[in-house]
Formats: sequence, structure tokens, C-alpha cells
Amino acid sequence: MTHAAPLPHSIASPTGDLAVATEGLVKRYGKDTALGGINLAAPEGGVYLLAGENGAGKSTLLRILMNLVRPDGGSTRVFGLDPQRQGPQVRAEVGYIPETHQPAYRWMTVGRLLDHHAAYYPAWDQPHADRLCRQLSLRPDAKLGSLSKGQARRAQLVCALARRPRLLLLDEPTDGLDPVARDEVLGLLSDHLADTGGTILISTHLIYEVDRLADHIGVLRGGALLAQLPREDLHRRLKLYRADGPEGWVGPANLQGVIKRAALGREIRWTVWGEEAEVATRIADSGGVVRDVASLTLDDAVVALMRAKD
Amino acid sequence: MHFAIDTADARPIYVQIMDEVRRALVMGALRPEDPLPSVRQLAADLRLNPNTVAQAYRELERDGIVYVRRGQGTFIADRATPDAERAALIAEVARRALVDAHRHGLSADDLIQAIRDAAAADAKTAAE
Repeated sequence: MTHAAPLPHSIASPTGDLAVATEGLVKRYGKDTALGGINLAAPEGGVYLLAGENGAGKSTLLRILMNLVRPDGGSTRVFGLDPQRQGPQVRAEVGYIPETHQPAYRWMTVGRLLDHHAAYYPAWDQPHADRLCRQLSLRPDAKLGSLSKGQARRAQLVCALARRPRLLLLDEPTDGLDPVARDEVLGLLSDHLADTGGTILISTHLIYEVDRLADHIGVLRGGALLAQLPREDLHRRLKLYRADGPEGWVGPANLQGVIKRAALGREIRWTVWGEEAEVATRIADSGGVVRDVASLTLDDAVVALMRAKD
Repeated sequence: MHFAIDTADARPIYVQIMDEVRRALVMGALRPEDPLPSVRQLAADLRLNPNTVAQAYRELERDGIVYVRRGQGTFIADRATPDAERAALIAEVARRALVDAHRHGLSADDLIQAIRDAAAADAKTAAE
């Protein structure tokens, strides 16, 4: 990828309030850099999809927001609060579901777990919790240690959703779930959004599984935020161009924003970040005939960004 | 009515919702004064972000296809006629076919002739 066209960062000056904002966020583990100066901006009322492969730093970032991990540099704000100094206020506003679904106390029943949360959070809504349990067929007398992966995830969700937090932090919420459980989880999140108008930050490497909810996209790779933008911008500006030309044609020189290029016979395909009219004109001016310009699915777009060469 | 949403489709989800409402109008499944599902209901049914459904409804309202009755919901507008939508739908189908033809190196004339031939072949098969 050419440096003339950097990857998209169009929430540089976001409109409206931010639910989550980090600036220059750094976390190191010994010599390894888990997060190398992240500027994340998740607008309030949106669903921000933080995509990245395993080990990209997604979980670390979420843990810092919950003050479960101490950063080595930069600033972090959740609704304008600093998790390090105002941890309890932040946690009162946030429902966090970690990646692991292994309960801390295997002997504890679902009912006891819910009671524990009810006592801890003033905003707890018991009728809502009961309704969620019925909806998800969660039995209060079931022991946490006996729950399947899907049931354990459901119990975590009830704990997080029953107090209608302004922000949900979900770390790989659909990983390891069967299709029915995944569908239920997505339905609950849709209901929660309609109920609260709240914000959700989802970290995942399974993009297509939460595709229907996302309206903002961040792509994390190797501790760096490669791209961050509204989904609509990604859809409008990242496109696949197919063109063919005369024998020996190689396309325009120095086409900017090229993320991927592949040739098949006399046809060349480019995945390009840029204005469609400009890119198409550049290709045509170089002697090619543009056959097709297509938007990418969210999954394909994110994969293209993740594979983009520096 | 049933809304078919496909995330493998490169059209944005809100556009797919709009197209589904238009299609239902042309097919006669939806008529003027029919209610649309609430934003919340449709979002929950399709496991979508309610903001996306609200965006589709806003755009449909701007296009004059639906209107909002305060406190009651969203309804198909009187002036949203199947004829007008059919014309828009035909234009869209034709445009897509043309793009596809162009992609395969075929001209508009090639396409028109091929459609006539295919329709004639179908009619012949049906008659036999």
C-alpha cells in the first residue's frame, strides 16, 4: 500500500458525544507492545465493531476501559470519566462481558449470581432479569459449573443487560456459540439497543456474526488501529474495480489507495480506498475499460484492510 | 410480510430494507395505509441495529413512500402506487442487468436481443 493514501480514519473529528475515547493509549507486556498508541473514538448511541485477529490487542483495550489492566501511557475516557481514577463510576455505567465464559465460582447457582449482581448495582431491574431468564430458558437453580458454553454466555448477558447499562463492552460475544444461541444473543442486543439507545463496543474476529448490528468499524492489527470509520464511509469508499485493457496493459502508474491488486489474463482487479469517480477516471485514462465497480461486504472489507501491506 | 436481508449482499442493510418495502408494494403485499412493523419489532425480528431500520424508514419517508402518524407508527403513503414503484423497479432491474452485461463485455443491444430470445424460448416451452 502506498503511503500517499493512508488508511481511513474518518472519525478524527467526530460529531456528537463519544462513549469511549482513548488518546495515544499504550500497553506493553515486557518487550511486547500490546497497544502502540491507540486513538479510539466510539460515538454514543452506536455499535462499534472492533475487528482484529486473535492477539491484535482487542481484549487488552477492553480491560483497560474497565480498569482491569493498567495502561503504560495515553489517556482513556468512558463518558468523559477516567477509568483509572473513577473506576466505580465507570463500572456503574458499563456492562462488560469478558471473552472467557468460565465462571469464577462453579458451585454457585445462576440465581445466586444474579442476586449478587442485584445487590451490587442500584440500577438492577429484577423483573427485566426474570424476563430475560425466561426468554433464554435459564434455570435459577442451575449450578454455574454445569452450564454449557452457550448457557454460561446467556447468564453473563442477563447479568449485564438487567441493569440497562449505557455502554456494553462485549469481548468475542458469539465465539463458540451454536447458531441458535448466537441468534438469541443478537436478538437480545437488538432489543437492548431499542430499549436504551445505548452504545455497544464489540470486539471480535468473527465479523460476519455481528455484521447486522455494527455501524462503526475499527480495525486493530498488531496493537495499531489501522482504520476507524462509520460503516457507510467504508461502504462508499472501499471498492473493488475490475478493468481490462490492451495487450501488456498494467493499469495506471501510482494509483493511490490500492490495498490489493490481482491480475487474471488481461483483466486487473484492484481493491482501492478512494473516490469512485476519481479511481475509475485514472483507470480509464491509462487505457483500461472499467467493467465493474462493486462495494465489498463488511467481512470482505475488514479482511482487505487487515491484509493491507504497510 | 417477510423481509429478506442478506449480509452477503453488498447493498447496505438499510437499502435492502427499502428495496423490500418497494418490492412488497409492487407485488401488492403492501398497499396504501398498511402499517409497517415498528422499528423495534423489525430490528428484533431481523436481529438488526434499530438505528439501521430507523434510517431505512426515514429514507422511505423522504421518498414519499411511507408517512409517520405520530404515536401510531409508520404507514404506506397514499401516493405510493404500485405503478410508480413498478417503473422504478423496472429501471433498477434493467440497470443491474446492463452493469452485469457490461461486466461480461456485452453491449446493451446484445442484452436486449438475448432477453427477447430467452422470452421467446420460454413462451414456446410453455405452449408445448
